[in-house]
Order: sequence, then structure tokens, then C-alpha cells
Amino acid sequence: MLTREHAIVDYRDGRAFPDCLDRRRHAHYLGYAERMLAIYAGGIGRERRALHRDVETLFAEEPDCPLRRIRAFAKLLDDASTYTSDPKGEASRLRLRVFEAAARYHPLVREKDRLFEHPEGETKAAIARDLGEAWDDIDARLYADVLSFQRLESFEGYAGPEALLSRYNVAQLQACLYGAERMTVRATRDVKTILRYAKLARLLHEVRRVGPGEYLIEFTGPASVLRQTRRYGVNLARFVPALLACRGWTMTAVLRTPWKTRAVLEVSDRDRYTSALPPPQEFDSSVEETFAAKFGPEERDGWRLERETEVLADGQTAFVPDFVFRHADGATVLFEIVGFWTPEYLAKKRETLRRFRGHTVLLAVPERSLRDGAEPGEHVVVYKTAIQLGPVMEALETVRRRAGQTGDG
Amino acid sequence: MRSSDTERTAESPRLRFDRGTLLLDGPDGTPVRDLFGPDLWTWDGRVGAWRCDAMRYAAVRRVLKECPGRAWRNDVPEPPPVHWPAVNLPDLRPEQREALAGWRAADRRGQVIMPTGTGKTEVALAAMAETGAATLVVAPIRDLMYQWHRRILKGLGYDAGIVGDTLYNLQPVTVTTYDSAYIHMDRIGARFGLIVFDEEHHLPGQCRREAALMCTAPMRLGLTATPERSDGRHVDLEHLVGPVAYDMPLARARGRTLAEYDVVRVPVALTPQEQATYDACSRQIRHFIAERRRDRPGYSWKDLCAESGADPVARRAQKAYYLKKSIEDRAAEKLRVLEDLFRLHAGQRTIVFAGSNAMAMEVSRRFLVPTILSHTPKRERLAVLDGFAEGRLPVLVANRVLDEGVDVPEAKVAVVIGGQASTRQAKQRLGRILRRTGAARAVLYEVVCEDTKDVHRSRSRRRSDAYARTRHRRL
Repeated sequence: MLTREHAIVDYRDGRAFPDCLDRRRHAHYLGYAERMLAIYAGGIGRERRALHRDVETLFAEEPDCPLRRIRAFAKLLDDASTYTSDPKGEASRLRLRVFEAAARYHPLVREKDRLFEHPEGETKAAIARDLGEAWDDIDARLYADVLSFQRLESFEGYAGPEALLSRYNVAQLQACLYGAERMTVRATRDVKTILRYAKLARLLHEVRRVGPGEYLIEFTGPASVLRQTRRYGVNLARFVPALLACRGWTMTAVLRTPWKTRAVLEVSDRDRYTSALPPPQEFDSSVEETFAAKFGPEERDGWRLERETEVLADGQTAFVPDFVFRHADGATVLFEIVGFWTPEYLAKKRETLRRFRGHTVLLAVPERSLRDGAEPGEHVVVYKTAIQLGPVMEALETVRRRAGQTGDG
Repeated sequence: MRSSDTERTAESPRLRFDRGTLLLDGPDGTPVRDLFGPDLWTWDGRVGAWRCDAMRYAAVRRVLKECPGRAWRNDVPEPPPVHWPAVNLPDLRPEQREALAGWRAADRRGQVIMPTGTGKTEVALAAMAETGAATLVVAPIRDLMYQWHRRILKGLGYDAGIVGDTLYNLQPVTVTTYDSAYIHMDRIGARFGLIVFDEEHHLPGQCRREAALMCTAPMRLGLTATPERSDGRHVDLEHLVGPVAYDMPLARARGRTLAEYDVVRVPVALTPQEQATYDACSRQIRHFIAERRRDRPGYSWKDLCAESGADPVARRAQKAYYLKKSIEDRAAEKLRVLEDLFRLHAGQRTIVFAGSNAMAMEVSRRFLVPTILSHTPKRERLAVLDGFAEGRLPVLVANRVLDEGVDVPEAKVAVVIGGQASTRQAKQRLGRILRRTGAARAVLYEVVCEDTKDVHRSRSRRRSDAYARTRHRRL
């Protein structure tokens, strides 16, 4: 990730535009990216500052390139690099030894005279002899632990020049978000993934349904309810690559500008950001996939199957069932498939279902998870390796019949 | 799960620390606003609980204690008391005793304002010693953080933890920087009984203040010589730290702690080669700006920086300026002058202040003398400072860490080889380092590039020239 010092943001008319390299206007950047990658790939053993200098030199004649952009590229290249480190503090120890040895010769003079008889060159050679090394070797290692003198050990690199440029655009978007106070995502798909990654980024959410299968999710942090704060900007930035991998969303973030005014950043899945993360899996498990295929897109006995279109939210617990059955008469049954399981997992699932007991949830449970002689109970379909349609349709009818009865009575 | 437990949990309100805030949840209808007043808690619908800044913990706890007949569950951890292994503090001077008494009288929540060099650190150490509280000390920069670590080790015999400078070693007593405190407080905010803000005028910044807001520590001590901020935010210190508990009159400090010393300015010339590059850069910048001003009379350095992104010529002018600065900073002649000064003061402890890390390392490699830079590891820092104090190491090179009271061992001679003349504030701080011993006065040498000054002077003479003032703007 970049730091605040790398961020290039254009603030215009209350809106924020993070620096973004365009496929057309910046087509020639592909060439730069290729050469930058070559500098690092061929730079094993070289000092960090030399690599940075070379990268800077590449852009010397480029009419469109602020210094921050160059520094940002160097940072992204460094992020994919390993430099020699000095975990045991060898340079530090060497310094102490050398300086303590040199103390009694102080000052090292250029030419000796009657008072000062320790010329620089000879004294350094003598100290080197005592340490059993050549002076030039010692001198080269003396400050080897300083960041800019560290040497490139290996370069993991990027998949190609385009990948580096994509990474740059995403990194600038993230850096822009460091100044964000809150973020709102309007999502029609992949809500489950969005919420899961937001939780991993330690964000709090508020979910509102704004239309059929359309949700407005506001992301903030704990203290946001007390005051406007930018402290969760980093969490929002960390969350963004996951969001970019999803489909069907628009995002609006409120930022604080350097002039202490506010600006709005708007991004959607149609902006051509490429996430380094893969898009969310359509199906978490093959059991789900098989079942969806078996049911098919058509109506069956008045029921239609929809995938992850319902979000139940209560405080910070959100429940996105795998499927929703909607009947032509308006009845809705949520369908959740328990694939792999552990006792903790089942306990947690039970707790979630208890929270949302106002909804009808049908549960598919693998047979091997049932203890001998255990009663599956109501609204539970037991399956062996694949979920059969028959028992599911039966259970759905039972639910509908019962709903009808309570409605009549 | 026993049913009695469940019942009690369900009925009694629960207080806990949640990432820099306090959360109070309990059964519906708990008269939170009646008990705590209308402003303390804010309802947080996202989690269905009451929330407030962790800083309000002292007030919250007071209400809980005075609130009989209710089974509150307080899940905010109680920081364990600290036992000081070996207290070895000097006797406090009268004004330090007054400061400590003032803080005590302010319910151990307040600011102590004392001029530079009057021993604020000792007041804080005495406060730590007498309260025996788990303490977090927040300092503005890494060097000061390490300095606090040293002082706590020396005065209280306690090896404090360090959070900052890529280290994360949390102990009941820990030192940190404002920047690290801002980052980590949501995790560590409930672990301390006392929080000390050194140079507290740094605290009220937009982000840094959160270090105070997100910490539960009921006892707070702010230290500063100059609480005022140009943005007026210092008034918030009362809210973030506490009222002014002690404000030492300046007259009492005068003439006691600040030593007098001579200042000697040593001009150096650039080598012909450096001078040639320097002049070429100057010409390039001058030419560039004159060109631009033909169309835009108000063209300034700021415009140049803004344009450097889209204009290679502007970028080259910008680079030329940085090259000039670097030549001033690292003129080869400075090393020769330094050699003369080392000869002149052989046998006397000497501190060299460089204008950049690069120059500091250059001096170090030329003369084989140790540096104290921001990236110097803790162990080396201690070894160098001790070696210097004991006289085993004759010279110490630092970069400009002077502006905020970093304690450097006393010395007879200081040499400033930075590019710019030292500020009055830095000179005052230097007064603490340079001590008079016997009849000989301490000396401060300022090594400055002669020709660049000449350039400056000649420009000043041509004040009517449209270009004359750009240099001021740039610096």
C-alpha cells in the first residue's frame, strides 16, 4: 500500500478524483512499466537508492508525471521486493566496534603534523587490519542497515506491465480513502462477500434494504457515532480490493480534504479497476451448485429459486442465506445449506437462526453431521451427498400449508 | 451454562472497552440518561448499545460507584499496579514539588507548564513513583521516546516497553510517540491508569487528539513549556488532559539553567566544481522563473511545484533547487573545517549537528565517529550516549533533532554544519548542552557556505527586482 505522502488526488467541485492511469491517455506508460520492472528484475544486489534513482531517471523527459507518481511506483516495486535486512544488528555492532577502536586516534587528519599523527587512510587501514578485513569492505557494510543503502535480494514482481499499472490505480484509490470518514455501498450482488470482507477489515456496517435485492450498506468504525474521524480510512482502504472484486455495486465515500473541507469520492464496478483478488465464487460448495442446477431457472410448483438475494441484518450480525424460494403467491422461504460443519459452526448457525426467527428458514444438513438417533426436527432436510428435490419441495409445501392455516385461523 | 448466570447477564448493564470507546449495554429501559446526565452517552443503533469516548471512563466509573442497588458488570480491565524495582530519583526542587502538589490537587488530571530546562521529566517520574500506576508516556518523536525509556530505567529501575519505531513491546509501563499512540490506542487504550503527554502542545492536532480520547486512563499529566498553538486548539487541552495544574513563572527559571556560550560563525567556500554546479543550478532556476514571469507576473515557487507534474522543464528547475540545497548541505569544505575544529578542541567533548542524515553519515565515515539518527537502534543509541558521557567516544554526530528537548550529554563544543543558520529556539536548547566548566566558556560553531550567503545578499540588494523575494518564499 502507498502512504499518504504518495497520494495524488484532484479535488474539484466537492468531488475527489484519485490519480488514475488511463488506457488511452497513458498508453505509453506500459513502456515505462516494462522498463521499471526490468530495472528491478535486473537489479538484484543493487542499493535501494540506486534503483529509485533509475526509476526517476526513466521519467525525466515525460511531460505528464508528478514526482509523487514516480515515488509511488518505487514504493509499489519495493512492496514486491525483498531487501537485505540486518535482523541481528550486525551493522550496528560493526559501527560500535569501529568507532570505539577509532576513538583513541581522534581526530583522523588528512595529513599528519607534529600534534596529530593519525592520518585518515593509514588509521583506517590499521583498524581494518585489526578486524581482519579490507577497509573498503568494512566501509560498505558500516551503514548497510540504513533503508536507502539496503540491497535488493529478490524481486517477486508483478504479472506484467499492465498488472503494475492496475496495481498503481488501485493503490491511489486506496490512498485517497485514507482521508475518508465514511463509506456507503449500494449493492445488488455479492452482498455476502462485501459484508464478510468489511468485517475482516474491522468495519461496522448498517444495512438498509432500498429495493428488491438492493441494499445500502454504510461502513464506519466504532467512534464514528461520536464524531467525524478519519481514523477508519485505513480500514476502508484495506477493504477496497475486496469490493473491487465484487459485482453490482456503487460506492460513495466522504473524505476530508487537506483544506479541511469535505469531498465525495464515487466509484462503481463499472470503473475499470482491476482487483488483485479473484471475483467471489458463485457457489461456496459443489452441493449448492448441484442443487441450483437441479432446480433450474424455471418455476417449480409455483416456487422460484433465487441466489443470495436476501440479507437479514440485526446489529452487526448479517445473515445472507444461500437461496431464497419465492412462491407465486408471495410466500418466501430462506434456504441455507450446511456443508462442512463443526460443533461451533452449528452452534453459531443456530444462534443466527434464533436471531432471525421471524423468518422461515429451511436448513439442509448432511446426514453424517447428525448424531445417531438424533431427530432432525422441523424445517430440516437431511441429505447424503447431494440434496434431492423431492424432500425440499415437500418441506416447502408444509411451510406454505402451515402459513395458510395460521392465516385462516 | 448455569441459568442464574444467564439471568444476571441479561439483567445487569455491562460496561466494556470497544476499540477506543466504551460500550454500555443492558436491558431496555435502563435509565442511562438519568444516571449519567444527558450528554455522556450516545446511542449507537449499529450495535444496540450506548457508546462514549474511552476518555470518559473516570466519569463513568464515578457514577457507577455512587449508584447503589444495581449490579453493574464492569468488563473494562483494571490496570494492575506497578512495582518500581529501584527508585532512584533526585530530590525535587521547590518548583517541581509545587508542580506535583498542584497536579495532585487537580485530582491527578492536569497540565504542568514549566520553561525549558526546569525538569519537567522529573516531575512526571515523581508522579509515576507515587501513584504506582501502569503508565503510558507519549512523546513527540522517537528520540524523545527513547529518552523517556532511559529516564524511566534510570530513575525507577523499570525497563519500559516501547510501541513505535517499528517496535511493539507492550508492558504495564510503556513509552510511545504521538503517531504510534494514534494508531494503536484502539487496542491498548484500556491498559493504563496514568497517561503522560510530553510536549502536550502536539496533542490537540486533528488526528493526534484521538490518542487522548481513546484512552481510559483516569490519571493524566500534560507537560509543556509552550502550550499555545497558532491554530488556537490548545484550549482543548483542558478537555483532553485536564486543567492547568501548575504554571511556573518564567522569572524563576531565568539565569539558572540556561548556560551562556559564544557563537562563532565559520564561513566556508564551495569548491570550484561545487560552485560551478551551484551557479549553473541558480542560473537555470532564475532563467526558468524569469521566463514564466513574462506571462504570469505572480509566478511563484508554489506554482512551480504544481506544474512540475506536467512539465519536465519545471521539474528540472525543481530538481536544480534540491541539488543546490544538497550542495549547501554537503559542501566538501565543511569536512575540512570540521577537521580543523576537531584539532582545535581535541580532548573536549564535541557534538556535531548535521543538516541531513546523508551528511551525518558522511561525517561519521570520514572521521569514524558515531551518529545518533532516527533509525539508530535502541541498543546502539544507549551505547553511544553512554560512551560519549563517559568520555570513551570524543564526538557525537546527530541530525537536527534539537528543536524539541532531546537530552544529549553535556559537551563543551557544538558544531552546526546544517545548511541554514540555527534558530533562536535551537540556540536556547543548545544552552542546555553546552555547559561552562571552570573559566572556559562553551562554544557553538556555525559552519555556513559563504558563497550561497553572498548570493542571498546580492539578491537582497536588488529587492526591487521582481525575482528578489522568491528565495524567501521557498525557504
